[in-house]
Amino acid sequence: MASIHLQNLEKRYGAFVGVQNMSLEIADEEFLVLLGPSGCGKTTTMRMIAGLEVPTDGKIVIGGEEVNEVDARDRDVAMVFQGYALYPNMSIYENIRFPLRMRKIPASEHDARIRQAADMVELGAFLDRKPGALSGGQRQRAALARAVVRQPQVFLMDEPLSNLDAKLRQSMRVQIKHMQRQLKVTTVYVTHDQIEAMTLADRIVIMNKGAIQQVGTPDQIYSDPANTFVAGFIGSPPMNLIEGTAQNGRFTAPGVSAPCLDHVRGKVTLGVRPEDCQVGGDNVQGMVYGVEPTGDTTYLTVRAGEKMIEVKAARDYRSDIDQPVGITFDPAHLYFFGEDGQRIRGAA
Amino acid sequence: MSHPVFMWAAARPCRSDRMRTDAPSVLVEGVAKAAPKPAPRRRSPALRRAFPYLLLAPALAYLLVITLYPGLFAIYQSLFVVKFLNWTWAGFDNYTTILQDREFWAALANTALIGAISLALQTGIALAIAYFAYRDPLIRGWRIVYLMPMLFMPSAVAFIWKLAFNDGRVISDLLGRLGLIEGNVDWLGSIWLSRMTLIVADVWQWTPFLFIIFVAALQGQDQEIEEAARLDGASWPKIFWNISLPMMRPVIVVAVTLRGIDITTMFTNVFVMTQGTPGGATETMSYFIYRQGFRMFNFGYASAASVLMLILTVIIAQTVVKRAFHSGKT
Ligand SMILES: Nc1ncnc2c1ncn2[C@@H]1O[C@H](COP(=O)(O)OP(=O)(O)OP(=O)(O)O)[C@@H](O)[C@H]1O
Ligand SMILES: [Mg+2]
Repeated sequence: MASIHLQNLEKRYGAFVGVQNMSLEIADEEFLVLLGPSGCGKTTTMRMIAGLEVPTDGKIVIGGEEVNEVDARDRDVAMVFQGYALYPNMSIYENIRFPLRMRKIPASEHDARIRQAADMVELGAFLDRKPGALSGGQRQRAALARAVVRQPQVFLMDEPLSNLDAKLRQSMRVQIKHMQRQLKVTTVYVTHDQIEAMTLADRIVIMNKGAIQQVGTPDQIYSDPANTFVAGFIGSPPMNLIEGTAQNGRFTAPGVSAPCLDHVRGKVTLGVRPEDCQVGGDNVQGMVYGVEPTGDTTYLTVRAGEKMIEVKAARDYRSDIDQPVGITFDPAHLYFFGEDGQRIRGAA
Repeated sequence: MSHPVFMWAAARPCRSDRMRTDAPSVLVEGVAKAAPKPAPRRRSPALRRAFPYLLLAPALAYLLVITLYPGLFAIYQSLFVVKFLNWTWAGFDNYTTILQDREFWAALANTALIGAISLALQTGIALAIAYFAYRDPLIRGWRIVYLMPMLFMPSAVAFIWKLAFNDGRVISDLLGRLGLIEGNVDWLGSIWLSRMTLIVADVWQWTPFLFIIFVAALQGQDQEIEEAARLDGASWPKIFWNISLPMMRPVIVVAVTLRGIDITTMFTNVFVMTQGTPGGATETMSYFIYRQGFRMFNFGYASAASVLMLILTVIIAQTVVKRAFHSGKT
């Protein structure tokens, strides 16, 4: 329904910078996920888009219109709050109905829409309860239903599934994605959960300390990280980052040796994902530190020098600790980062 | 004179204190156990058991002497016809006489009328100001200023208003200069004007009390809820009406009940400003009791009126609070 442009958006609290010089173009109908560690400014960004927080600097444009001076009420966004923010004095039914009443949607449509939203979050049986009589996960779903009951310009969802169990979270995820595609509402979604980010997003924005680290499709973020922060943040377990030196097309660190391109020189960091490592071979010569079978796969931790390296091994791989072990890296999936943490890309 | 209502209000904490009397001994034991090595301090078991009661003793003594004793004394006295030291047993005669006393019913009606109007006005005004002011950071910092009218001595306030309305004619003068009236208004000459002066004085003195409580309640509400309502498209008045006000309900009920109990004992202003004139139109229950007791020396009769007033107040307060909190839930 509307694109969103953030231009050099900044939020400072005194000397502390909550969001730093953020520029972002969110396309119409896009599903954008903000991902980053706690306190990196995700909620603050959302609140500025919603109009609940006044930016210290920069511009917000929604649907081609600058909205910096537009009151939150008139921006026509719907938000799921991290803390739910349900109306404690109203039943869940009345909670979900509130935006319909306030936006003057004909009363004849209310009931059907409320039930549809409640069914989507599997809360149909709880409509008569007050929020105080619901569990945390149920409240969260009620908050979600209240946000999606009408069709706004923009959805803002701040960790809407964080309190649900794995199964419910998975089904909710599918529901949200389906609904977003159906309603075609531009959506900004905050999460800590990488799987959620990967499965939902058209594009992911990785943030750290108030600044954007990388913007890209889930594929790009995963297979083409821009810096060590993104590399170490995405993937579970995340990418191995091994500090060492490179010269003459060879990267070395204690117990580690791997080929690299000629222009990679000096102090660098090698990144390799656990799933791009194989047991056997001699890129790493170390000792088995631990073996963790998870059912569908087994994670092996190898100690090379002082460094722990995670390897995704075969499902039936087993070993005692302190046994010598070798590892091979997939040479096509090695990443190198300079001293500043930025990626050193292909031939210069 | 100590109105029995105060006795009721003050006696309640006394009861809940009693229920918790075992808490201090638990604490004493807990500390003794938790302390690491040094030999636990030994107290004789008798002292240990008496300790919590000793701690409570001063407060209990105060309550007994100041509120419970006069209260019980009043109940006892209400069963006699008292002419100074000459007490004659009367059973419930005082009560039956009172219930047929036109002046008693008039006083009750006056109290209810003046109290209800005053309470409604101060609640409404306090809510309105709180609604407009609670987001203002200045209000947070200067809350204490709004308490000033409450901090003045009640009799001083009463005299100020007496001066303003009657003796000093300040208000008449002001209205005259505004061209609203000619000459002087005889505030004590008309039933409703006279009642109005009492209402104005009470509203002036007590609106700030309610205002402070309401502002605190509003500021204590989760700001995200307001923000959510804003995003849902609600205007500020609608947010207040649909969300903030219902959430304040328990606070409003408690504050208004306290204020209501207090208003039923309205005495100082009546005593200073109107003395019940004209023709008893501003005689409140407290003033009626005072007049019976200290002007006409019908002590037993006055006590009986106090007891009736106490019973009535407790019943009304209980019903209001119970209702409000009951329907607030579920
Ligand atoms: N009103 C405020 N005053 C000062 N600092 C603030 C304020 N609000 C937020 N911050 C700071 O701004 C930073 C970003 O906060 P924000 O709530 O956006 O984090 P977040 O990314 O949503 O984190 P989480 O994942 O834990 O929800 C935090 O370090 C926080 O302490
Ligand atoms: Mg947050």
